[in-house]
Amino acid sequence: MPPELIPIQIAVEPSGNARPLLHEVAELLKRLLETGEPSTIDLSALPLNPADLDWLQTRLGEGEVSCQVQANGESTLDETACRGVWWVTHRNERGSVVAQFIEVAFVPELLKAHPQDIEAGREQLEVLISEL
Amino acid sequence: MQGPLIDTLVRQGIGRRTFLKYCATLASMMALPPAAGRAMADALAAARRPSVIWLPFQECTGCTESMTRSHSPTIEGMIFDMISLDYHETLMAAAGQQAEEALHAAMKENSGKYLLIVDGSIPLGIDGAYSCIAGRTNVDLLKEAAAGAAAIVAMGTCAAFGGIPKAKPNPTGAVAVSDIVKDKPIVNVPGCPPIPVVMTGVLAHYLTFGSLPELDDKLRPTAFYGETIHDRCYRRPFYDQGKFAKTFDDEGARKGWCLFELGCKGPVTHNACATTKWNGGTSWPVESGHGCLGCSEPDFWDAGGFYKALSMPADPLKMGAAAAVAGAAAGVAVSFANRGKKRAAQVTHETTTLADLEK
Repeated sequence: MPPELIPIQIAVEPSGNARPLLHEVAELLKRLLETGEPSTIDLSALPLNPADLDWLQTRLGEGEVSCQVQANGESTLDETACRGVWWVTHRNERGSVVAQFIEVAFVPELLKAHPQDIEAGREQLEVLISEL
Repeated sequence: MQGPLIDTLVRQGIGRRTFLKYCATLASMMALPPAAGRAMADALAAARRPSVIWLPFQECTGCTESMTRSHSPTIEGMIFDMISLDYHETLMAAAGQQAEEALHAAMKENSGKYLLIVDGSIPLGIDGAYSCIAGRTNVDLLKEAAAGAAAIVAMGTCAAFGGIPKAKPNPTGAVAVSDIVKDKPIVNVPGCPPIPVVMTGVLAHYLTFGSLPELDDKLRPTAFYGETIHDRCYRRPFYDQGKFAKTFDDEGARKGWCLFELGCKGPVTHNACATTKWNGGTSWPVESGHGCLGCSEPDFWDAGGFYKALSMPADPLKMGAAAAVAGAAAGVAVSFANRGKKRAAQVTHETTTLADLEK
């Protein structure tokens, strides 16, 4: 059973550590606009408790785009109400969260198809056409 | 057979997105910056599968069990696609003469390039006769295999430090890999058994950067063994407040207070259990209500009793109430000393802190 599905959870108060992260995200957005350089914050590397993460996610809000990638478990990549700021959650095939990131980018890295995969897709399409 | 790794994975239906996700997660677990995930994915995809020879000596197969069962058949299993495991007695189909031939063929073909993984300690008593494979002693086999290895990974506490076979009175004269091999790079991955992701992390680091990860003075990767269990324990605030469980069924135990007085070895044990946890992130010993045994430290079996608090005297006959109070006080002092040490380490090593983010 994934730990977050256990019905009894310990109540946790926000530690206040999430607040400065919003300043960091603002800086990264500025950098994205000025240089086009995307960046990522690894949320599991920071001293944030579940309540801090909730606080952060609520503040950033929900945006227009939400994506799911089925890659060895589900990954969700949701744009927050602040456009260009994405909340990325990787889960394993049992549904447990294995990593969480805030990605500041026009499009998150994981969503882009790799040129070699596109090449393989083109070949597949050619076969399809030749068989018509 | 020995083409780039990504080709092998794509053939098995593992796409690049899955691979990128795996690398991002691995980088996060290894406490590397997020950008490293992308770099790892590029380097790993192009990596050629290195030959790996796994030699079991005086061991219980627990390390192999940990590796193969933990998240099977999930992402950690992928590491077996990243390497060419040419010899592993427990996992290989061949036996007897064929197995020995496979071992020698792999050693000859990949001389100077293969990675040697050893689990189990090596007995030196009566000329090593306590443990033999195909009529040869472990120490003889280790010396032969080590000679052609690029590096050696000592997997588990037995191979890293001697482990349980070395426990007093050490009847077989068991020693660690590093007691015998002196001229090759060695990585110790202790634990009884070690956490699977630590193992895959070491291999991924080797494949990605072409070198072994940063090691501490006991040759352990600092990414996983850099901090003690106690430093990362979610029960640490109770220790700092002096709230301890006194028995396994008292109020403190029910409220999840610190297990220091019940013999938890967390303060002196370097491992990643508190953060990576076990069984796919479900729980770990302290979370299930039992103190840390210190299984990843040298001589943990002889460390004076699993249920004796660290700073209490080892002789139970002399342990009175006064000693227990003194023990608790000493514990608090250790806590402050550790925090000071940790702060100093963070000041010198960490590039980004929350204080930096605030500006």
